[in-house]
Amino acid sequence: MFDLLAQVPPKVNFWSAAPNTSALYGKVFLAFMLGVGFVFLCMNLPTRYRRTLISVLTFVAGLFFVLSFVWPKAEGRAPDTLPNGVVESVAWWLQDATGPVSGMTSTLTAFLLGLGAFSMLRVHIGRLVKQQKDWGFSLVLLISMFVMMIIGYWDWRTVNFTMKETNFNNPDNWIGITYAKDLVFDGILQKMDAAMFSIIAFYIMSAAYRAFRIRSVEATVLLVSALIVMMSLLALGDLMSSKFIGMFTHGDKSHFMANFTLSEIYGFIRAAFQTPSIRAIDFGIGVGALAMGLRLWLSLDKTGGTN
Amino acid sequence: MLDLIAQADRPPVVGTQYYDAGKVMMLFTFMIVFFLLLNIFRAGKNKDLYIRRIAGLNAIDEAIGRATEMGKPVLMVPGLGALNAISMQALNIFGYVTRTAARFANPIRLCCGEPAVFTVAQEIIRDVYQSEGVPERYEPDSVRFLSDRQFAFAASVSGIILREQTAATFFMGEFFAESLIFAETANSVGAIQVASSTEITQTPFFIAACDYVLIGEEFYAASAYLTRQPVLVGSLIGQDWTKLAFMLFIVMGTVMNTMQLRSKATEAVDGFGERTPLTEDRLVLPNETTMGRIFGPAKPNPATMKPREADPEAAAPEGGSQ
Amino acid sequence: MSETVETKSLGEKLLSIPKPVLYLVLILATALPLFFPMALPNEPKDMAVKLNESINALKDGSTVIIQSDWTESTRGESRGQMDILLRMLMRKNIKFAICSAADPQAPEVFRNLVLQLNKERKAKGEREYEKWNDWVELGFYPSGEALGQGIAANIRDAFGGKRDAPPGGQDRPVFESPVLKDIQKVDDLGMYFVVTGTKSIIIAIERFSDRVAMGGMVTGVMGPETSNYFYSGQLKGLSSGLKGVYDMCSLEERDHPGTTMLKREEQYILSLHAAIFLLIIAVVVGNVGVFLTRRSK
Repeated sequence: MFDLLAQVPPKVNFWSAAPNTSALYGKVFLAFMLGVGFVFLCMNLPTRYRRTLISVLTFVAGLFFVLSFVWPKAEGRAPDTLPNGVVESVAWWLQDATGPVSGMTSTLTAFLLGLGAFSMLRVHIGRLVKQQKDWGFSLVLLISMFVMMIIGYWDWRTVNFTMKETNFNNPDNWIGITYAKDLVFDGILQKMDAAMFSIIAFYIMSAAYRAFRIRSVEATVLLVSALIVMMSLLALGDLMSSKFIGMFTHGDKSHFMANFTLSEIYGFIRAAFQTPSIRAIDFGIGVGALAMGLRLWLSLDKTGGTN
Repeated sequence: MLDLIAQADRPPVVGTQYYDAGKVMMLFTFMIVFFLLLNIFRAGKNKDLYIRRIAGLNAIDEAIGRATEMGKPVLMVPGLGALNAISMQALNIFGYVTRTAARFANPIRLCCGEPAVFTVAQEIIRDVYQSEGVPERYEPDSVRFLSDRQFAFAASVSGIILREQTAATFFMGEFFAESLIFAETANSVGAIQVASSTEITQTPFFIAACDYVLIGEEFYAASAYLTRQPVLVGSLIGQDWTKLAFMLFIVMGTVMNTMQLRSKATEAVDGFGERTPLTEDRLVLPNETTMGRIFGPAKPNPATMKPREADPEAAAPEGGSQ
Repeated sequence: MSETVETKSLGEKLLSIPKPVLYLVLILATALPLFFPMALPNEPKDMAVKLNESINALKDGSTVIIQSDWTESTRGESRGQMDILLRMLMRKNIKFAICSAADPQAPEVFRNLVLQLNKERKAKGEREYEKWNDWVELGFYPSGEALGQGIAANIRDAFGGKRDAPPGGQDRPVFESPVLKDIQKVDDLGMYFVVTGTKSIIIAIERFSDRVAMGGMVTGVMGPETSNYFYSGQLKGLSSGLKGVYDMCSLEERDHPGTTMLKREEQYILSLHAAIFLLIIAVVVGNVGVFLTRRSK
């Protein structure tokens, strides 16, 4: 329908081939057969081998990302040159593969999005058909979803294909569908996003009022440091503390009391407590993620019904 | 300070070779992997390894119990992150929660904001009901994909909390600005809340609004603590070894840098890692210390690179990317 | 009902302020300053000063990449960040390419901002920033990890498939544009900026902060975590939250008066002050309430 392959850079390597060549059709056919073969294998293997097959596949898929991380990177690769030696050949191969692999991930995600949309439609159409409680909300959701899809697609088609020559970056050239898209995306969706985000301000307020209590020594320390940090964020608070401390220091920055302005105390809290503790938690999370990743990659984890 | 900007003035180098990805850092990564695998192996043999008590995890059963008493659903949200180690860990914990809920025939709601996570979650939850021998209690609509837009997702989850008056909520995984919206809404219906975010920025919000919070890596320790599987317990101990190694490096680095930065430099080290004898009298610079050189990988020197041969088969592609 | 109210002690009263009242006070406190503009005394933070210096140190006419990962939800902070960044770059005639890795709506949002800035420039009689010659769009990438990895490995491959059009012309590969024609690898960029409300900046820092000078402009919530990377030297400068925008505007206004939206930011910062002040009061009131109630019991 549209020339959707036009954006693919006509580069020839292991992962691609020149347009309209037998090499390209051969590679497409091979990839298709591999996919079908894998599905066939999964359906017909006994359950205990299925697990092994999936583990092997997980390992191979993960190996690509591990290699892209640990293999020496090719530096300053220029067009039309040959790699120097095996290490560099592998590095180039991995580099070429990055695009197609992220393409595969995107394709997979797109199909999964379809599954997600199907689940959502099933819940809401079901509720609508059975006229269950709150079916009106489901109706609103379904209408909004389809209106958004139609307008989005129509606009994309107009801008990229049917009226490709028109410069829609200039609002003077806008037509009906551009205005409609502007209304639903910029006028409604984005504003609703912003409204939801701003609700957080109210929740912070009520959480501060309700939950931030002096219950223990630790909570008191936390509260006092939070107040210092918040006061130091107020330019006025900072100014007042500087003026007050200035009465002792008389402008002498090396005076001992100069350490006790709000911004100095906040600087101390940040440098001595906040930053190091964030780093320490980051280390823990990083190591935890690495361990989890390793267990998944090597299929050591048993999830779901088996744990 | 702006040395990197100055370097950008250099003409682009063609035909240079490897970018030093930091051999020491690579070795360090392999060391962590070795620690983890060794301990997983050890834990397989020695079943009696100790994990300290984590209050938030003891609260899981209490929360589900209360939901059962009230006859209201248990809500689980694995965050907004893509299908990665974090969401898999969240789903592991939710597998445990669902198992307990299935035993008490308690309804569950698992809300996903990412289609890939949703698909895996569906499988895991169905699997749990099957392994508990109650596949008929599994409702396909209990695991839902809501929206992959952050605030649309926040609005949907809040709607479910308010409409279904969930009695226990579990927020675990990657949460962003929506964390407080969830936590405060669940608080307003009186739900017991257990939460954990790997996002440091959101943990304070959870601490303020939830009953129990797993901080940082406690999130990863959770499945080991709950299931006591040797693989998980071993991996946890491997993580502790790694952190000990980190601490050792931090102390070593601090001591060595403190000493070296106060000593006189005898040779200069440039951005390409090459040393030249120094005639001027100056102190050692931060990038010249042992730690600076180990952890600041050198850039490849174009002057010493072997040029690449031309590819005889290459034809310049029209409009190509190169 | 009235009897219950009368029997409540002061402590109990302080503890039972209805939520709608709290919310109303917050709305009033943050909205009123918008009608009564007032400049507050301000000391720019070190992180913002360094960011300002880094941008000013860029060579006129050089190329930078901006990773724009914000949408209307963090508009309050991120739009101000992007606004001051673009104004500074345009003043210095620096070419920029914009990509996004966090939200498919991000390209639409920054496009609107460039459009608006161009309108302003036109009204002032300044040269408009032309698509293709002065700036190009690199589009949206669904995975920040993959984008970071791609840029570090080979920037020409990472953005190789992207096309953009000169005014009135046909689509051509972006690397043929005057903006990117001299860029062979990420090291050739003058700077790489990330304007974000998410941790996409951290992924970028991990991938290539050792190869190109990076500047960060993040929301207030992301500030503390991201400042780690400023103190470690991986970010050359950082502007965090509304205060960061205000700092950047004040610094730019000091050197080039009348070129920024300082007046608007002054109002915003006043609202922020009101909100923080109110938060402090809420915490204090809650705790005094608990203290009085406990004492009376």
